[in-house]
Amino acid sequence: MPPDNSHDDKILRVRVTAKDADTLRALLRDERPDVGGRPRTHADGSVGIDAYVPARKAEALEQPGVTVKVVGDATATGKARQTEVGEGDRFADPSAVPRGLGDKVEE
Amino acid sequence: MPAHTNSNARYLNTTEVDSALVRLAGAYPQLSRLVALPEPSVEGVTCHALEIGSTPDGGKDCVVLTGGVHAREWGSCEVLVLLAADLLEAYRRGTGLAYGGTRFDAAQVRALLDGLSVVVFPLVNPDGRHYSQTADPMWRKNRNRAHASGGPACVGVDINRNFDFLFDFTTAFAPNAGPRVSDDPCDYQTYQGPHPFSEPETRNVRWLLDTYAGTRWFVDVHSYSEDMLYIWGDDENQSADPDQNFRNPHYDGKRGLPHDTAYAEYIPESDADTALELAQEFCAGLHGVRGGTYTPMSGFHLYPTCGTSDDYAYSRHIVDGSKSKVLAFTIEWGKEDPNSDAASFHPPWAEMQRIVKDVDAGLVRFCLAALKT
Ligand SMILES: [Zn+2]
Repeated sequence: MPPDNSHDDKILRVRVTAKDADTLRALLRDERPDVGGRPRTHADGSVGIDAYVPARKAEALEQPGVTVKVVGDATATGKARQTEVGEGDRFADPSAVPRGLGDKVEE
Repeated sequence: MPAHTNSNARYLNTTEVDSALVRLAGAYPQLSRLVALPEPSVEGVTCHALEIGSTPDGGKDCVVLTGGVHAREWGSCEVLVLLAADLLEAYRRGTGLAYGGTRFDAAQVRALLDGLSVVVFPLVNPDGRHYSQTADPMWRKNRNRAHASGGPACVGVDINRNFDFLFDFTTAFAPNAGPRVSDDPCDYQTYQGPHPFSEPETRNVRWLLDTYAGTRWFVDVHSYSEDMLYIWGDDENQSADPDQNFRNPHYDGKRGLPHDTAYAEYIPESDADTALELAQEFCAGLHGVRGGTYTPMSGFHLYPTCGTSDDYAYSRHIVDGSKSKVLAFTIEWGKEDPNSDAASFHPPWAEMQRIVKDVDAGLVRFCLAALKT
């Protein structure tokens, strides 16, 4: 079994498209990439899935009947999102009560 | 009125998910009860759930909603915290509840909290969330260092592979099935742990199911693919042959292949029908908000899983006839869009807020439909 992703590397988000379901299934079984979402079958019978892999692993996924397209740098995207996480405790004040996002509709 | 109108300006950090529950319990003492889970996380964090309902659980039907099992799927916690906040506020004020085009009137809000105990456990894996939000954003597992002595990847167990369902996957599945699970402690994402329930985070979920014996529905909130999945995840479903079931050793080595005749997991037709109907209700509630389309379907597609929370929850009554039947679901919120980096495990918060409304509308409709089954 090939070594799995090391978390020290930059992780790329790639779109893996195989010519058919069996090809994708074999690829996922043998290469064991981290995946997101689920396999999607297209009109031509090809099947795609998001994978999250270091750059060197992305190249290894390129096999006969399989195309790999880099969508983005998942590590960089994730780091950017980390700036959207709260700091401290917004509910530290006992009068601070969470409110949901639904509209409370008076009748 | 609550003091902070801008309390939804960002994702919640780990501390805030918990303090949100504490504040809700304090603000709505007649309608909610704070539940301390029995085991701290691997790194020592005490976890809470919130039981909501107009009367304390006393044999009422119960729905258990869990989130934050997978560290990187941040928005699952907000989905559940903000759902609880909406239901509590609307019930107390006697209002209806609207998410975009999906609307529930005051009588429906009242019926939900009068008829059901809703137990929300929004952050099953606090150590993992903290690590994902402050260090490696792609982190998925918990942060247990006990099972390996290798490098940084050799930390942690995938909580959603650590439940007791077909845990011995090399025996259970066909050799070429390729289940998405690993027995290698250095697997970056899907290490199952040394044995079922080896992790305190997993045991806390089991404790909720044991403690709320009236639980009839279980929903685990994950990301992503815009699906509402129901049992089973180890193979395709069938309702014709009860012998083809996860407990039958005759089918060891045959499970987990798509489109074959060797094995499919048995589910009674009535359960399959009810599970599909409830999944469809979820999707309809979600669709009404802003037109989103989630797919109701069983959990198996292309490759099998094992040790997951939903299959375990439903399998309990089969393994032990004294336990109640729990129809079990996994939500996979969030888009799969190769052309947008907003589609990911952690979308920009502005987008995540729209997703929270989608999923919360779906969950309210799910609960109302469940009440009628
Ligand atoms: Zn997940």
